[in-house]
Amino acid sequence: MPVLKTVQNARNRMDSILLYAMIGLVVLGALCIMSAVNSLSWSNTIVRTHLVALPLGIMAFAVGWSFNYQVYDEQWKWLYSFILMLLVGVLLFGSYQRGSRSWFVFPFFSMQPSEICRVCTILVAAAFLTRRGRYIYDTSTLLWLGLLLAPIFGLIMLQPDFSSVVVTLPAIAVLLYCAGANLFYLGLGALFAGVAGFFTIAWTYLYLHPDLTQYGLGFVLNQLAHNGWYMFGFSLLIAMLGYGAWWFFKQLRILFPFFYFVLATLVVLAGLFGGIFVENHMKPHQRKRIETFLAPNSDPQGAGYNVLQAQIAMGSGGVLGKGLFSGTQSRLGFVPEKHTDFILAVVGEELGLWGMFLVLGLYLLILWRIVVIAYMASDRYGYLVCGGIFGMFFTYMLVNFGMLLGIVPVAGIPLPFISYGGSNLVASLWALGVVQSVYSHRLRA
Amino acid sequence: MAITKEVFNGRLKILLKAALIVGSVIALRLINIQVLHHQNYMQLAERNRTQILYQTAPRGRVFTADGVAIASNSPSFSLYYLGNTSSGTEYLNQLVTDIAPYIKLAPQTIRTGLETSGKTGKAMALVENLSTQSTVALQELQQYYPGIYLLEEAKRSYPYGTLASHLLGYIGSMDERQWRKRDINAGYRLASKIGKNGIEQKFEEQLKGKDGGVYLEVDYRGRVKRIIQDKKWAAGSDIYLTLNFTLQQVAEEALKNSKTGRGAAVALDPRNGAVLALASAPAYDPNLFVPYSDQETTNASKQINEYNLAIQGIYPPASTFKIITAAAALEETDLDVNRKVTCTGKYDSGPRVFKCWGVHGPVNFFDGMSNSCDVYFYALAASMGPAPIERMERKFMFGRPTGIDLPGEKAGNLYGPTRRARNKTYWFVGDTLNLSIGQGELLVTPIKLAQFAAALASRGNVYRPYYVDKIVSNQTGKEQKVGQTEILQRADLKPETYDLLYKALKHTVDNGTARRVKIKGLDVYAKTGTAQNPHGADHGWFMAFAGKEGEEPSIALAVFVEFGEGGSSAAGPIARAMLEAYFGLNSNAPSAEATNAGA
Repeated sequence: MPVLKTVQNARNRMDSILLYAMIGLVVLGALCIMSAVNSLSWSNTIVRTHLVALPLGIMAFAVGWSFNYQVYDEQWKWLYSFILMLLVGVLLFGSYQRGSRSWFVFPFFSMQPSEICRVCTILVAAAFLTRRGRYIYDTSTLLWLGLLLAPIFGLIMLQPDFSSVVVTLPAIAVLLYCAGANLFYLGLGALFAGVAGFFTIAWTYLYLHPDLTQYGLGFVLNQLAHNGWYMFGFSLLIAMLGYGAWWFFKQLRILFPFFYFVLATLVVLAGLFGGIFVENHMKPHQRKRIETFLAPNSDPQGAGYNVLQAQIAMGSGGVLGKGLFSGTQSRLGFVPEKHTDFILAVVGEELGLWGMFLVLGLYLLILWRIVVIAYMASDRYGYLVCGGIFGMFFTYMLVNFGMLLGIVPVAGIPLPFISYGGSNLVASLWALGVVQSVYSHRLRA
Repeated sequence: MAITKEVFNGRLKILLKAALIVGSVIALRLINIQVLHHQNYMQLAERNRTQILYQTAPRGRVFTADGVAIASNSPSFSLYYLGNTSSGTEYLNQLVTDIAPYIKLAPQTIRTGLETSGKTGKAMALVENLSTQSTVALQELQQYYPGIYLLEEAKRSYPYGTLASHLLGYIGSMDERQWRKRDINAGYRLASKIGKNGIEQKFEEQLKGKDGGVYLEVDYRGRVKRIIQDKKWAAGSDIYLTLNFTLQQVAEEALKNSKTGRGAAVALDPRNGAVLALASAPAYDPNLFVPYSDQETTNASKQINEYNLAIQGIYPPASTFKIITAAAALEETDLDVNRKVTCTGKYDSGPRVFKCWGVHGPVNFFDGMSNSCDVYFYALAASMGPAPIERMERKFMFGRPTGIDLPGEKAGNLYGPTRRARNKTYWFVGDTLNLSIGQGELLVTPIKLAQFAAALASRGNVYRPYYVDKIVSNQTGKEQKVGQTEILQRADLKPETYDLLYKALKHTVDNGTARRVKIKGLDVYAKTGTAQNPHGADHGWFMAFAGKEGEEPSIALAVFVEFGEGGSSAAGPIARAMLEAYFGLNSNAPSAEATNAGA
């Protein structure tokens, strides 16, 4: 560990822009939750829970800020054990709600450990990458990281908590990218996700338009999902393409290791089989989400209903909005999950475009400050922690806005600070506290 | 610090830039949805949350010139229950016992209805078409029970039943295709009734009011949350016709009681071409269509006779046409009106012998007209040939529709040598003789003959008849003039010609076949006609125009009785009744003894 020269000037121990942006979002969120649940009969419970979670969150923020973040680096093994304990614990003692076992229910409150684990995972991964700094370019680093994180994701998928994975994976990818991982491997990862995603979406599209499977490309694609011979043929084709590319570059006297082409071929094939796996194991409601994303108006009363109603809510808000507590779409129950996953629809309806811009702007402000703080960090660990947390909030923002605007499929992910959800609020505030800690222990500028 | 900074320097900055780009894309999409498509989404949101219990606005009334409403509206009440989940059993029991006496439903049925509505929270119509007596009591109950709601709607009613039904038309429902074609801003609902015929159809836009309604706010399950707005309707514009109510009523009554009950009577004002009466029998009762159930409407439409004989029936004008022959002879030859022709009951044209309907002996022009002596007119036509007659036909626009603003008017048929020549067939002497007495291929509608009578009465104005005077808005009180005098063509004959024709027609009333319409205090000019019908009984015609003694004629009319046999016997009494009604004279007995004449 390098010797730290920290800034001891009390005035500058916290980044005020980040703080104000955070306070702004939290206040806005509290108002929107109150407005959103106003019409529900159990609104008191929700508001009370949120008001209890708020001081807890502030405490978590204070803890994150006041502790030297390097503690997480030093004690990363304990942190890792803590995560695994929580996740195993929830599988053993958690309560089963809405098809997943992801809640600890205590007499007076309940909590969702995967929210805390999200932040912890970033801290642990950052610590690991800091230690592997010298070998960051090696394949082994990636493999070791994979091995390290596999139990966490495995346990989360056992609950199952799909949305947690959706947010954490991109954060880890951002972390790797910032750590300076070999772009080729990152590219392979993206290639894998891309191929698997392409096949999943293409097959869902064919499922929606069965007439296309009768001939041509559609026919081949469809056979690929079900017919072993087609899979075999496709694998051969990809292998030959890989070999051909290597030979081609060799003739040009541009020498790439042969190993790269083998890897690329394998990744594409893994993508295909990953896609086939997803295709065959996708739950009906998950398929519906992709269908809705592909054709939002195909089923306005069914799966497309949620997104459509959320858009109606947002669009009807206009520039100035209908005012807090007076959005008809949310108050009369047309917008589903209005205080959690679709809270932005409530913001859009009641506060209008300026409200949406406010939320978007505050988020961008937070992202900007995190990046600025990352570059102020006194060590590599601080930089990486900021990078991972940046990735996490970026994903939250992208998915929440994108889902509402029809850019990404519905994923059921809350928007930190704005959505109702105590565990998420506490974890997110803690994460920002850690970022503030990085700031307070920065280099003398 | 800066251990490996050179390795990853800048990568996070790239990501920040990516975040900013994503942010701007989101911002643009937001502007697209919240600003550019705001109106659209606003409408969708409003449609989501509002349920409207519509109240059909009263259609504009239709008045005759003397201010009688012949199409009006009557109120119809429905009782709604706006589901109120908070209402307990006690409340419901009380409510059921209180409203049961006023609606014809078993208390158990009412209770079930109320409970269903309470459970689902949806608005529900308990009863429709309440009687007026019960509505007063229910209106009071409405004060005590906030859940119930009395809705008033306007229903079309035609107080005089069949009166002017062919002119008024009727109303009915649209099918979905027709509804989609309508202008979205005109406020039509699929359940709206539209005019289907006559004035109801032609002035649909003006007659239709703006429907009112109770706007309810409902949640996503249709449960009523509150009443947003109780919008009052706006009644449609009233239409004032030129019809004379008494005249129309008398004409229809007389037609109905005529020998066959089939026919038409049309009266025009010869001073401006306004329609004073337009009766067609058989008529129908447009009230049949008002009960808004589809089955009843279907049954009703099977029963009714939409055929408007006054403008769609075409028949030979028979002896009334002799006026044209006479006018042609007066105008184009130097006819000596006192020269006598001896009628022996038949006329030898050479190849064929033509018969007269009687033996009149020596007759001059006036006797020939008043007795409707065929032989006299055969002789006239034979000496001048068919061309002047056809020219005279064209002057009065025979063979052309009158142009009254009603759908389906028939033109009739012009008959003459040029028409024959155009059809490339021959013209025989016999045709000339047939033409002269209005038989053969010549065909006219009753309204055409009324137009002709009005042209004679006004000394040459061939009017386009009109029947709508003005439209008065019920909202702004603004008057819009619709109908106006339009002279299609002038039949400019020499004044002496008209004088002699008037004298002959007066002679017909005083001494001839039209003695039935001889009325003290009036100058009546008339001509009868009996159209030979090879398929059955002859048709009776009667055309007349009249004014107060010494004044210019103020009414011109044509009466037609299908299969009525005699023009004078069948159509004459109708014409007399109409004239008496128009001039306000009330004598039941015919002043002159009726003869069974006419030809």
